Amino acid sequence: MSSESPATGAGQAVPFEPLAEGGAACSIRLPVFDGPLDLLLHLIREDELDITDLPIAQVARQYLEYLELMRELHLDVAAEYLVMAATLAWIKSRMLLPPTGEEGEEEGADPRAELVARLLEYQRFQEAAAELAQRPLLGRETWAPPGVAPPPVPESEREIEVSLLALLEAFRRAMRQAKTSGHAHEVVTEAVTVRERMVAVIDALEASEVVEFESLLRTPDGGWASRAVLVATFLAILELARISALRIYQSVGAHGAPEGPIRLRRAAEGDPRARFEAAG
Amino acid sequence: MADAESEGSGGMDAQAKRQVLEALLLAAGEPVSAQKLAGVLGEGTTPSEVRELLDALDAEYAEQARGFRIEQVAGGYQLRTLPELAPFLQRLRPQPPLRLSRAALETLAIIAYKQPITRAELEHVRGVDVGAVLASLLERRLVRIAGHREVPGRPMLYATSRRFLEVFGLSSLADLPTLREIEELLRERAAAAAGEAGGETEPEIAAPAAEQAPADDAEDEDDDFDPDADPGFEPPITTH
Repeated sequence: MSSESPATGAGQAVPFEPLAEGGAACSIRLPVFDGPLDLLLHLIREDELDITDLPIAQVARQYLEYLELMRELHLDVAAEYLVMAATLAWIKSRMLLPPTGEEGEEEGADPRAELVARLLEYQRFQEAAAELAQRPLLGRETWAPPGVAPPPVPESEREIEVSLLALLEAFRRAMRQAKTSGHAHEVVTEAVTVRERMVAVIDALEASEVVEFESLLRTPDGGWASRAVLVATFLAILELARISALRIYQSVGAHGAPEGPIRLRRAAEGDPRARFEAAG
Repeated sequence: MADAESEGSGGMDAQAKRQVLEALLLAAGEPVSAQKLAGVLGEGTTPSEVRELLDALDAEYAEQARGFRIEQVAGGYQLRTLPELAPFLQRLRPQPPLRLSRAALETLAIIAYKQPITRAELEHVRGVDVGAVLASLLERRLVRIAGHREVPGRPMLYATSRRFLEVFGLSSLADLPTLREIEELLRERAAAAAGEAGGETEPEIAAPAAEQAPADDAEDEDDDFDPDADPGFEPPITTH
């Protein structure tokens, strides 16, 4: 990859090494193309074809030749490639047939139209990606000062780290209240993952250095989040605490006992996401 | 300096304000908006005054050939080292540089222009599964979840994050070239390719691309992210 931007024509960049006999033994990992659309665009570019007037027979033939090559090289041909092969064959056959006007189809509609539209759109985004890649990236071409550490917790606020038990208790309270909040029972399958909630918690901590534990368990309108979200959020907070991306605090009352809301605080050593990423 | 502080911003001249702004940008650790900087400077200072002062400061840096400049990023201002000095900084910090596979860049580009967008829509544009790429972008916090679309199945919606603006040095999404400009570029490139011999626009477009795209950009994304090794919610950012 020396002479090309990353988002265009990776195709030419990876030469095919013919396999030695018995090549099946060594598995090669060459995702030469990023899917069937990428492959088609490569074929089009290479032969300088007009996308808007695609010579479908020619393209289909080259496409199949390429799939054959992939098979010979013992590359896995992903299902998407086969679907596209079928689509090309279908379009080709439609091009051969005289327009019938059957099935309420528009008279003279070009069977290539949908594919062409997808190719044009994908090509646009490949170009947009190439433009993005040319920008000086933070951490690759440019760096910013990391900033000073946030000030220590003010003495007046006197906080202690919350014990796991206190945290569990707060969580149980939320779960109980959420259950009895009186809404009609509504069955919604909700795809919520702990990872998603970790991202949400970090987002919240990035917006403000200190976040109340309870606020993370509530929806924007102030009600309790669903049980699935509650559980996932709780696990997310525990996980973030484990990897030291955040710390969990509570104020100390007059007699030294913890009181008031439980608060999450961004880990002192700067950026929580740094920890998050480093934890992997 | 001490004098300026004790007097408050009222008594500060432009020189003193520039000095404070420089210190603030150095210590901030993230892009800071003109509004916030004006607030820190105090009473009389307006955001537009801050912008003028920062422009003057940046012009000073340019004039004195400093190693950094003031960039407008993610709605704020930030000091950033000059891209041409990257080789030295990479030697200073031998950690692996930020890597983005072609698949990651394409997926990001689609999200940036079409957000909020569902995974199915992304896959329709790219013609391939984007699950692993999307997970990797979420982990790197370049992409965020922007809610659900209220249709059957309530698919998740994805959008670019503030971090995306920071990493790509964009002041806002409006900083991206429009899709029409992108098409313009494509047309120019096609025209240049067609008239190979007389193509004058081609080198201008192609040269920076070749220069600035490190070799590892187009490598197999598996190097960045191994979906098979994904253990539940363990963030699978691997160190290479």
